[in-house]
Amino acid sequence: MDYPIWDLAMGGGVLIGIVAIAHVVVSHFAVGGGIVIALAETLAVGRRDRAMRDLAKRSSWMLVLVSTVFGAISGVGIWVTIGLVAPAATSALIHTYVWGWATEWAFFVLEVAMALAMVATWEKVRPRTHLWLSWLYAFAAFASLVIIQGILAFMLTPGRWLQTRSFWDGFFNPSYLPGLALRTGVCLLLAGVYMTLAALREPDPASRARLVRWLAGVEVVGALVAYGGYRWWEAALPETVRAAFAGGKALLPALAATRSLALWALAAVLAFAVLAAIAPRTQRWPVAAVALLAAFAVLGGYERLREGARKPFVIRDHMFSSGLLVSDIAALNETGVLARAGWATVGLPDTPEGRGRAVFRAQCASCHTVDGYLGIRQLTAGADPDMLNGILMTMKGMGDAYIDAQAKGQPVDTRTLDYPLMPPLVGSDEEVEALVAYLQSLKAAAPSPTTVGAAMEVPRAR
Amino acid sequence: MPASLIPQPDPAALPGPPWLFHVLWLVTFFLHLLFVNTVLGGSLLALAAGGAGAGRLALRRLLLGMNSWAISGAITLGIAPLLFTQVLLGRFFYSATIHWAWPWFSMLGLLTVGYYLNYLGKRALAAGRERVGMLALEAACFVGVALIQVTIHLLHMQPGRWEAVAASGRAALGDPTFVPRALHFLLAAVGVTAAAVALWAARWSREPEPVRKGIAGFGVRVALAAAALQVVDGVWLLLAVPREVLRAFMRGGAATMLPLTLGILLALGLVAVLSLVRDPLGRPRLLRHAVELAVAAIAVMVLTRHQLREFYLAAARAGEDLAVQPQWDVFTLFLVTFLVCVGLTVWALHRAATDRPAPGEPTA
Repeated sequence: MDYPIWDLAMGGGVLIGIVAIAHVVVSHFAVGGGIVIALAETLAVGRRDRAMRDLAKRSSWMLVLVSTVFGAISGVGIWVTIGLVAPAATSALIHTYVWGWATEWAFFVLEVAMALAMVATWEKVRPRTHLWLSWLYAFAAFASLVIIQGILAFMLTPGRWLQTRSFWDGFFNPSYLPGLALRTGVCLLLAGVYMTLAALREPDPASRARLVRWLAGVEVVGALVAYGGYRWWEAALPETVRAAFAGGKALLPALAATRSLALWALAAVLAFAVLAAIAPRTQRWPVAAVALLAAFAVLGGYERLREGARKPFVIRDHMFSSGLLVSDIAALNETGVLARAGWATVGLPDTPEGRGRAVFRAQCASCHTVDGYLGIRQLTAGADPDMLNGILMTMKGMGDAYIDAQAKGQPVDTRTLDYPLMPPLVGSDEEVEALVAYLQSLKAAAPSPTTVGAAMEVPRAR
Repeated sequence: MPASLIPQPDPAALPGPPWLFHVLWLVTFFLHLLFVNTVLGGSLLALAAGGAGAGRLALRRLLLGMNSWAISGAITLGIAPLLFTQVLLGRFFYSATIHWAWPWFSMLGLLTVGYYLNYLGKRALAAGRERVGMLALEAACFVGVALIQVTIHLLHMQPGRWEAVAASGRAALGDPTFVPRALHFLLAAVGVTAAAVALWAARWSREPEPVRKGIAGFGVRVALAAAALQVVDGVWLLLAVPREVLRAFMRGGAATMLPLTLGILLALGLVAVLSLVRDPLGRPRLLRHAVELAVAAIAVMVLTRHQLREFYLAAARAGEDLAVQPQWDVFTLFLVTFLVCVGLTVWALHRAATDRPAPGEPTA
């Protein structure tokens, strides 16, 4: 909350989403591809199967180009993006898990070196040596998933960490193993569908059919493991989290639709795989490409669910998406939020609207923009000052529920709150009034550079 | 600038003593820098390879091939120092990047484009086409990344400049040490890579002699010019450092003055050794010493840079009291994993480099 603010018209969450989805698709392919390529190469060596060996070789090239190049850069990209958009949350994760990340990095060093060596030594070393490189790659890639899953799952279900602050309690949290099973299945699924595209380049029809059938088997296994992992993951979530997207009355209907999309996409990939296993000779690249897109939808949908179900938190029951700590609510109600959020006020006039804009930047801008993604001007267009004041005071009152729950050592049942997907509003009553004044001023101004709202533009981070 | 504009330290305790993070930061940053110098210097030398005469094509092949590994190495090894920076100085680092957010974010695009251009350039070269425009663009991408890194480095240790940069992004480039620092970085990268290339041509290359001679001569000339300019630029950089920071640094005693003096001596030694090389192919030992001196100078400068940062940030961090709750068990897991992974990497790469099937024997 006391960090500078990056005023991003598209919304910081959207940017994180774009970078993160691109990275997870590539990184999951890197893990699954490693395992399936090593399996294919082992079979090829054992059976002296030239077609299988060519498939492994073709796929390993793609593995290097997407994994060690794009995967590595987009992995750093996530760090860069979350550090820009949510620095307090990034800092909290780093302080808790730096040794976990460092361990994952050690595996990544091995992974990258083996990927490059694997590609560089086709036709140059004995088959046994190459198998070592391939299996070491597969081991390192999977090990990095085993580590990173603990940190990702922690953000949604921190479990006993909330009481103990122990690394291991946070790491082995309730959704750790289910999420790991799900991700492992998705990794195999992605590798299977991508490698099917590579298999279709095999010139001999009989060999091509054999490869397609073998990869269909991998996809079926991946789809079943992913489905089992997904059901287990849902069952492991606390009821308050599940309420965001599951059940008859979802808090976030868009998230419920995402869940349906992910599960139907999984069913579609499974159907494609079964079809390919039964009639491999009918497999063509447009069908395989559609299966690949469906596999992307499975992973993208799950990631969207995981992120969305965390609302209104970035680390559940510990830190809100605005960077506000649950433990800071009472103090900030006492001192006012602007006493802490110095950067939010820079360049703004000392008027009610100016202070209100500062409160908006400090507390709302992590999710809302003025006119872009979740644009606040449009969202509040129908509300008069009394209604706005009522909404904001209700949001401020939600803070008491969090304070009470924390005093009792229990999480809040967010379903009982009026705005269960929003962080509580904190600050003095004057700051709430200033926010009302600012939101009202947006109504008077059309979204153009000459409006009152734009006249209040503050210096932007560039 | 009001002190309230500097974010408070993270309320969570440090998961290890600060000295441990400093050591890991320095070691991993040094390793990262070796690869960064190779990438940056390699891409610039590949562009200017015409100076190698008969060695032009072979030099470009070498540098593009080397960079397809080195870029991966630089990115992968950059993750660790980035982690440790955030543990110790996250509040300064994040603030600096937010104030210069778009250039910082654009670094990802530059890296991606530079990396793929290297692969494309390598492929074109293998097909007998030299794409100089592609090489120029690749070098420009990596120079761009270097300049962004220098800017963020300067900004994160000077909170007093943040408000000006928040008002206008151009102010980020207004630091008086920006130009000499950026030059320091570029000259080091070009110099160490040029010396290494000369050593490769003199000792390991199997190219015909005119080719080797062209590469080695070019490498020595470039390395000597870079080292000589580095001495001049080093003085400029020292004089451009804010006076109070420089004074505090000078008063640091042997802890700060010894590494700085050693760094200067190593740079002068490098100039002396390189100027002794008359026949590069005949003096591989001198070239090896030149590379050793350059790498040692980089190691010492990493330490000096780290110390200088402490003095820059002294006022902003006054009274900083960080709680420490070591996670020794997880640290041990990291250390064991790291040693095992490094061991496996060395073993596997050695095996891959030495295992060559006999004629008629099957290959992978």
